[in-house]
Amino acid sequence: MVTVKINGKEVQVPKGATVLQAARKLDIHIPTLCYHEALTPYGGCRLCVVAVTRDGATQIVSSCNYEVAEGLEIKTETDVVLDIRKFVIELLLAEAPDAKILKELAQEMGVKPLKRFKPRNELCIACGQCIRACKEIVGVSAIDFAQRGYEKKAASPFFERSQDCIGCGTCYTICPTGAITLKDIAEGEKALLPDGSEVVGPARIIDNWKVGLELKRCKQCGEPFAPQFQLEYFTKKVKLPEDFFEVCVECRTL
Amino acid sequence: MKVTGRKDLEKLKDKGTASLFPDRVRIMVGMATCCIVKGADKVMSAIAEEVKRQGVRASVVPVGCTGLCYKEPTVEVVQPGKPKITYGDITLDRVPQLIEAIAKGMVKKEWALYQTEREEQLVQGGYHAYGRGTPKELKGIPKHSDVPFFRKQRKIILRNSGCINPEKIEEYIARGGYSSLLKTVTQMKPKEVIDEVTKAGLRGRSGGGFPAGIKWLSCSKAEGDGKYVICNVSEGDPGIGMHKSLLESDPHSILEGLIIAAYAIGAKEGYIYISSGYKLGVQRMEKAVKDARACGFLGRNILHSGFDFSVKVKEGGGAYVCGEETALIKSIEGDWGEPRQRPPFPAVSGLWGKPTVINNVETLANVPVIMTKGAKWFSSIGSQKSKGTKVFSLIGEVNRVGLVEVPLGITLKEIIYDIGGGIPRGKAFKAVQMGGPSGGCIPKRLSNLPVDYETLAQAGSAMSSGGLIVMDEKTCMVDVVKYFLTFLEGESCGKCTPCRVGVRRMREVLTDISRGKGKKEDLELLEKMARLIKEGAICNLGKTAPNPFLSMLKYFKDEYLAHIQKKKCPAGVCTS
Repeated sequence: MVTVKINGKEVQVPKGATVLQAARKLDIHIPTLCYHEALTPYGGCRLCVVAVTRDGATQIVSSCNYEVAEGLEIKTETDVVLDIRKFVIELLLAEAPDAKILKELAQEMGVKPLKRFKPRNELCIACGQCIRACKEIVGVSAIDFAQRGYEKKAASPFFERSQDCIGCGTCYTICPTGAITLKDIAEGEKALLPDGSEVVGPARIIDNWKVGLELKRCKQCGEPFAPQFQLEYFTKKVKLPEDFFEVCVECRTL
Repeated sequence: MKVTGRKDLEKLKDKGTASLFPDRVRIMVGMATCCIVKGADKVMSAIAEEVKRQGVRASVVPVGCTGLCYKEPTVEVVQPGKPKITYGDITLDRVPQLIEAIAKGMVKKEWALYQTEREEQLVQGGYHAYGRGTPKELKGIPKHSDVPFFRKQRKIILRNSGCINPEKIEEYIARGGYSSLLKTVTQMKPKEVIDEVTKAGLRGRSGGGFPAGIKWLSCSKAEGDGKYVICNVSEGDPGIGMHKSLLESDPHSILEGLIIAAYAIGAKEGYIYISSGYKLGVQRMEKAVKDARACGFLGRNILHSGFDFSVKVKEGGGAYVCGEETALIKSIEGDWGEPRQRPPFPAVSGLWGKPTVINNVETLANVPVIMTKGAKWFSSIGSQKSKGTKVFSLIGEVNRVGLVEVPLGITLKEIIYDIGGGIPRGKAFKAVQMGGPSGGCIPKRLSNLPVDYETLAQAGSAMSSGGLIVMDEKTCMVDVVKYFLTFLEGESCGKCTPCRVGVRRMREVLTDISRGKGKKEDLELLEKMARLIKEGAICNLGKTAPNPFLSMLKYFKDEYLAHIQKKKCPAGVCTS
């Protein structure tokens, strides 16, 4: 165990824990955006910054990926820390003015949109949660960052139709800003993908990765219930019997 | 031939000496990229042809960069019995006449820049004396020691640049090369090597100038086996190419330094990470590695000392941010070149999670010299806290553009006026920009400042990799800052918000100002953004990105105000 001091309070956490985890143990609130407890921390958004003093030197670090060490002194609400957090929200608000989570964080921190910046209306704030989820939780790695700098965003390879996406929708569920769109279309319904190709339902459409994936029908009720690829992938990954996904959850009887 | 000890090394040295100072004419053509862009490759082919046609007994040799970029293509000629003559501006049309003169045993006085009577042999000590020639044939040709461009220079890192054929290991050995490695691995303990480098006061020749010895010590103390050493040749500053030049001119000096570093910290494997697009550098370094392996300076049981070390040349993808240590490591690992938060520092957890030392090319090129000449000698050069020399790309509005190496502590004025010859076309000197795109400007009134790490940092600039861009009165500082911020915006990896979005937004506001659309509260906003990007960004690309703006604001605030309040660009550069 390692003992650290946060805002004057001592706390013991296991070796390898992060400053964020230690703070949460003390019920000290640190806002986060690119952090998700199911994923490897990324440290990109800089919302969770804190001031860490180590061997007499103070440094501003992201708490989500800063490992605790014996004797660390952490302050979670210094002026600089709060200024950086507000600045991050100011910057991101101009990128994605309609993102609910940003509006909430802005309200929580008392931040108003800066009129000097022209709004961009790009919902993807490059937090990378979708990418990490696809890689670490699903194990597919269908998407990754593309471009760099201001143009950086999550994308399918070469911005073309993803060959590996199984349509599971984890990216859609985890995205904090709603930058990923997922839509299931019914039998016979038609939809256009961003590349102009037509998809006929029943299918799952994720515009971001330019996929329209066929939905499998339940053998019993006949209703489409999940993308074919996803079921095949899960069957293989968890080594389920081949016919496990022949019926939908509702029709499954033990 | 595998070298196993002093005797073998001497044999190679003799071979190299015979090649460097043959009993016939030696014609050396500067053939680094900077020379080639001025047509040196064609000049060299023409010389070889002409030599053959006129039946001259001469060897025509490609060498590295002499630093005289303003006189490229340069050709140096050693004729038996004469001093070495350096010719400048040898374009294709001049080749036949030059060779004709050489064929007759004469000197082409009108194109000669200077004569060199003796060549310093820095590593082994002493000089090689050339012939003396006759006063008549040398009349009017200045001596090397009297040439203003060289008088205040001190060549340690560039000791062999322009002197040896970079692709001939024996020529490097003839200049004392690999004798330091032999001494190190056979006579010194790793700890003694680290102590010597620490005592010498050698500091990293890029970035913040961290003491190399301390970096080595913390890596050697770090737990874990399978340590790595990496040579960082990821240089991306626009218009600047010190590392490229050294790589192309003297790859073995870097390699020898790297092998010694590996011995000191206990690494068995190393990488030389080279920016994308440095084709000639990669080619010369690969040849150097191959030759060093054949000689037994790399591989198993190096020089019969029991020390094993192998090295790979790795070409990067060309991102500027990959010069940052943690991004460089990720790039070698095959991942996105994205920096990560430190600690852990690479010396503790670096490549593949193993303790890793990353040194810049210039830092490493100093190491063999320190090992032979000693810490005391090295620390006698430079200023109190900044020891040794530094290579600068002297460019911009200056008469003698070139690659210069100066002892630290020299003043900016000496570099710009004494070495660089001042500002062309009678214009007034305005400022000098140092430290690459995220460095800062120093105005004319501070040109008496000594060039060392602390002084430059205090003045809001940086040593960094060593670009030195001279600006005259016709330069608009708002425009310059906009240029650098545009560069950094494009090179930001995009990982953290302050750098990805913040730098972009700063650039947008600056663009408005330069177009006469600035608002009066813009400076305050930019200052706030600069402060928070510096505090909040992950890596040094982001943390230093606001520097050009901050230094300009410190020294040239009136120019911003003129753009914002009067909607005027005093230098007449910006247009709406």
